[in-house]
Amino acid sequence: MSEHNLQSQTVQTTGHAWDGDLQEFNNPLPTWWVFTFYVTIVFSIVYWFIYPSWPIGKGFLAGLSSISYVNKAGETVSTHWNTRALLMEGLNKTDEMQKPYFSKVAANDFSQIAKDPELSGFVLSAGKVLFTDNCAPCHQQGGQGKVGFFPNLTDDDWLYGGSFEKIHQSITGGRHGYMPAFGEVLNAAEIDALANYVASLSGIAHDSGKAASGKTLFTSETAACYYCHSASGAGRQDLGAPNLTDKIWLWANVPAAEKPEDKVAAIRSTIAAGVNKGVMPAWGGRLSPEQIKVLTVYVHELGGGK
Amino acid sequence: MAIATYSSAEQYNFDIVKKFAIMALVWAVVGMSVGVYIASELAWPFLNFDSPYFSFGRFRPVHTSAVIFGFGGSALFATSYYVVQRTCQTRLALEGMASFTFWGWQAVIVLAALSYLMGYSQGREYAEMEWPIDILVEAVWVSYLLVFVGTIMRRKQPHIYVANWFYLAFILATALLHTFNNLAMPINLFSMKSYSLFSGTQDAMTQWWYGHNAVGFFLTAAFLGMMYYFVPKQAGRPIYSYRLSIVHFWALSFMYMWVGAHHLHWTALPDWTSTLAATFSILLLMPSWGGMINGIMTLSGAWDKLRTDPVMRFLIVALSFYGMSTFEGPMMSLKEVNALSHYTDWPVGHVHSGALGWVAMISFGSLYHMIPKLWDAKLYSTKLVEAHFWLATIGILLYIIAMWISGITQGLMGRATDEFGNLQYSFVESVAAMMPFYMMRAIGGAFFLTGVLLMVYNIYKTIRLAKLEEAALEARLASKMVNVGA
Repeated sequence: MSEHNLQSQTVQTTGHAWDGDLQEFNNPLPTWWVFTFYVTIVFSIVYWFIYPSWPIGKGFLAGLSSISYVNKAGETVSTHWNTRALLMEGLNKTDEMQKPYFSKVAANDFSQIAKDPELSGFVLSAGKVLFTDNCAPCHQQGGQGKVGFFPNLTDDDWLYGGSFEKIHQSITGGRHGYMPAFGEVLNAAEIDALANYVASLSGIAHDSGKAASGKTLFTSETAACYYCHSASGAGRQDLGAPNLTDKIWLWANVPAAEKPEDKVAAIRSTIAAGVNKGVMPAWGGRLSPEQIKVLTVYVHELGGGK
Repeated sequence: MAIATYSSAEQYNFDIVKKFAIMALVWAVVGMSVGVYIASELAWPFLNFDSPYFSFGRFRPVHTSAVIFGFGGSALFATSYYVVQRTCQTRLALEGMASFTFWGWQAVIVLAALSYLMGYSQGREYAEMEWPIDILVEAVWVSYLLVFVGTIMRRKQPHIYVANWFYLAFILATALLHTFNNLAMPINLFSMKSYSLFSGTQDAMTQWWYGHNAVGFFLTAAFLGMMYYFVPKQAGRPIYSYRLSIVHFWALSFMYMWVGAHHLHWTALPDWTSTLAATFSILLLMPSWGGMINGIMTLSGAWDKLRTDPVMRFLIVALSFYGMSTFEGPMMSLKEVNALSHYTDWPVGHVHSGALGWVAMISFGSLYHMIPKLWDAKLYSTKLVEAHFWLATIGILLYIIAMWISGITQGLMGRATDEFGNLQYSFVESVAAMMPFYMMRAIGGAFFLTGVLLMVYNIYKTIRLAKLEEAALEARLASKMVNVGA
């Protein structure tokens, strides 16, 4: 370092001085700096020859590296390096890798898929990706759903049935949960009575007098709750009418209410307003039959499949 | 030296420099506090309070505008007005206009911050300000150019000092960038909302031509101007190489304009455009390092100052971070590296190693040098500068290490596939994996902010003591006058 100092002192300044003592030495460009700069130039020129680079007229220098891939029509395309071709090439590779599994999925029925260790491993892997991309926005990452909005897929309580076939049907055709708004046909006292009866079905603290008259209403032709929820309140899966006796709630946010009267109030407001938001889109046209099959087994295996 | 400072008080317009220097500190505190807050929002999301006014989306441009334009911009105005006067040996030209640049610029920052909180944004990164504010920026900037060029034209020095080349390049380039990136049509004269004249890929390209050159000319060239004055001044040594300064100045100015598209790798941008951007980023490495070499080598022969002078340490460590991030940037702009790094926290760490390590550190060093000179005082406490230095350094390291780990983790999680060729992780799983690093980043930011608060206290005491001394001096002078009169 001291040697360097001596050297600096022998180097001339430019002879200018600003603001009193501000001066400049005129040291030559450091050799390593110039050399490395040349290296970056060489690197860049090589890079220009590998990838598409300089525009020439209406085209551009296409570069020496090329990519071939199979397009959607099944033709093999060879082209200069480009982002889209690279993506296609990557997708080709994955498709190739997964083809045997998907054809096995297509050839086997649901329970065979679930039993086969290799296939169920594939379903767990591919199903997670499909579920994450398509289902998790509503049903949440783990399938736990959200009270008031989206059903839980991990319990064994099913609105439309938890068999492979029923789950497959739900995914393919979608679902639309609907309950009329009884605020239009019943008066406040009647709704209150019904709410107390429904609360009684799952052991929530209630007014037994009101519940008794609610029970009559439940099976009467005025309210006609029994049409869908059945006379016992156990629901009807062919209509997607929930079981009211199992302490599991989707539309009325009963779990969030702490006091019994608030729980009854939550039931009351659902009866009055009805339900018209339980829309799940149909995935039939969007996902391939094999993908829906994978998803069916995946959802079935989330914990609640029957 | 004392005599020079005494006479310089009338020779130069220091009033405007003082105002900008104070506001630089004010905006540093505001901008960095908001930064620490939004970093905490990511670590502890309840801090969003489910309110749009507290949301990350609205606070983030408040943070970036307050630190880049408020703190960085005011520091640049202050130092450029100081440097141009001293190195041209002349008083600032067009002083009314210079005063307008102060009030106009402060209004810009305040209006921008308020408009972001109210939800107005152009949605262009670092150019979120809507059209009425853009017009005010334009007016301030043209005035700035006139004041600066006017001052250079009346210089009493035959040669224009290198710092002024960099400042002028910054002012010219920023005018160009700001104008073209913000070309937009307002919905009507009384609406804040406007639509860009560009669309699609051209829009993205224009935005990142602006975005990266804001980094290149606002956050690099301008602060190199600062470096070229304050490093040799503080070191008491001549600049290492005049030749190097010429070569790297022109190389830097030429190369930077090409590289914006490296923010748009793997998008709808044509591949040839992104290739050129990658290579020009690589070509930019040595021109960028020219500034670092010139700064650090200036200290050769006075290395002991690193041990004894914390202000010098700020300046030199700033140059080291500058060297590191200008190496990291070109690497990240290579297509294959970018495929891993883009859309992760890595770029966030990269930006902050530049913004905290280079921009903020060089500004702190320069302000510590300049403020005592402006008020003709001694710095209140060198020990506090020392403490500030260590808080800042530890803060930066915590910040960038956290972002490196979390960014590379995100990148790897995003591309990890299992034996069936399926993606192994969902996006939300990568978010969950980031949590410890988000906390570490918020803590790093808090360290950095604490250092700035020490600096504000130190500067406040410095100025206050200077004023007390001046008052005492005047009182003594006055009593003498009375005695003489009697």
